[in-house]
Amino acid sequence: MESNVITLEVEKMMLTANGKLNLSVDTRIQTGEFVALFGLSGAGKTTLLRILSGLMKPDKGLVKFGDTVWFDSSRGINIPPQERNISFMFQDYALFPNMTVEENIHFAQPMKDNATALELLSIFGLSEFRKRKPGGLSGGQKQRVALARALARKPQLLLLDEPLSALDSGMRLTLQNEIYKAHQLLGATTIMVSHDLGEVFRLASHVLCIKKGQISKEGTPDEVFSDSSISGKVQITGQVARIAKQDTVNIVTVIAGGSQIIKVIAFDSDMEALNIGDNVLVFTKAFNPMLVKLMA
Amino acid sequence: MNKLPGKITQMQQSGAVLLVDVDVDGQGFSALLIEPAARPEWLQAGHTVHLVFKETEVSLAKNLSGLISMRNRMMCNVSKVERGELLSKITLHFRGHSITSAITTRAVDSLQIAIGDEVEAMVKANEISLMNSI
Repeated sequence: MESNVITLEVEKMMLTANGKLNLSVDTRIQTGEFVALFGLSGAGKTTLLRILSGLMKPDKGLVKFGDTVWFDSSRGINIPPQERNISFMFQDYALFPNMTVEENIHFAQPMKDNATALELLSIFGLSEFRKRKPGGLSGGQKQRVALARALARKPQLLLLDEPLSALDSGMRLTLQNEIYKAHQLLGATTIMVSHDLGEVFRLASHVLCIKKGQISKEGTPDEVFSDSSISGKVQITGQVARIAKQDTVNIVTVIAGGSQIIKVIAFDSDMEALNIGDNVLVFTKAFNPMLVKLMA
Repeated sequence: MNKLPGKITQMQQSGAVLLVDVDVDGQGFSALLIEPAARPEWLQAGHTVHLVFKETEVSLAKNLSGLISMRNRMMCNVSKVERGELLSKITLHFRGHSITSAITTRAVDSLQIAIGDEVEAMVKANEISLMNSI
């Protein structure tokens, strides 16, 4: 595969809900990688995606795709989005309501290519809906059309901005598999904004944690989310869903992997600055857990 | 969780099982871990680490005599008792550090634990985790 390492060295003053924040990022993204941008809202994830796409202009810096310069403030270069070979997929599908499923896909193709469109419809199980308009489809089906459309132009770079956050957990899992399949099929570098840990673990090969406009941590999901500075061999990451004070202790409910519910007894020293929605590491020693074989 | 700073004095490995001795202000502790031979860089003799153990793993004894298998024993003074309906929290002073034990309120009553008492806190070696202290 040709090497199209993405060079991203940019600065951009952002206006967030908490005032001004300078986005300052200097990184390389390898060809064919599935990268997740992970972090709190307002940290700069979506801004970074928009800068890559050309929808937003950085204050200064350099954006290169392989040897092709997309943006260079020192030379006044700013290639418009339509001339960068990229596709987008957002949480809201932004399908054309007046066009059929098939027409929506054709619209994304620089040159109408019926064979590819039919193949995409078949891959995403949309063949029987191809003459329908988006209004008659379910949320999951619409998102499949959006995904098929994103792939229709055979992009070298696929940008996904919380593409599945509007779907229920079952449909999310199905579509995560399809996004993964699409990534494999296309071989394109894929960059996804997500704050869903399960999604990041399932899909991403590399994670960039964005905190207050900067990359605070990066690596494989295992490197980024499991903590090698603790000897405990059972480590689970999840999100705090509930905190209940009971007797002299707190019972903290943590949701891991999207659907596993874990309850942990926590003491006041563990509770400092711990809030619902926080990402946490639940750890224990290899000696403590017990195993029971499940019947098939 | 309880955290005590200490220094690794010695390690003994057998297959993936590792027994680590840690000195905390002159008192020896043991932690039993599962670690591959390629250990993290911080898990070596001479390194400063934190001993980490959960409040519910801290047993308490008063006037204990005889032998016991628990490897980690701390002579403490009771500084606070928070009684709950079933579960109580005892805050203890151990060589300038504060540790917490969570035991049943029945146990508190049976040991007649009160502020100022001298008690022995004990933790099994396999209940202690180590944390890189940097």
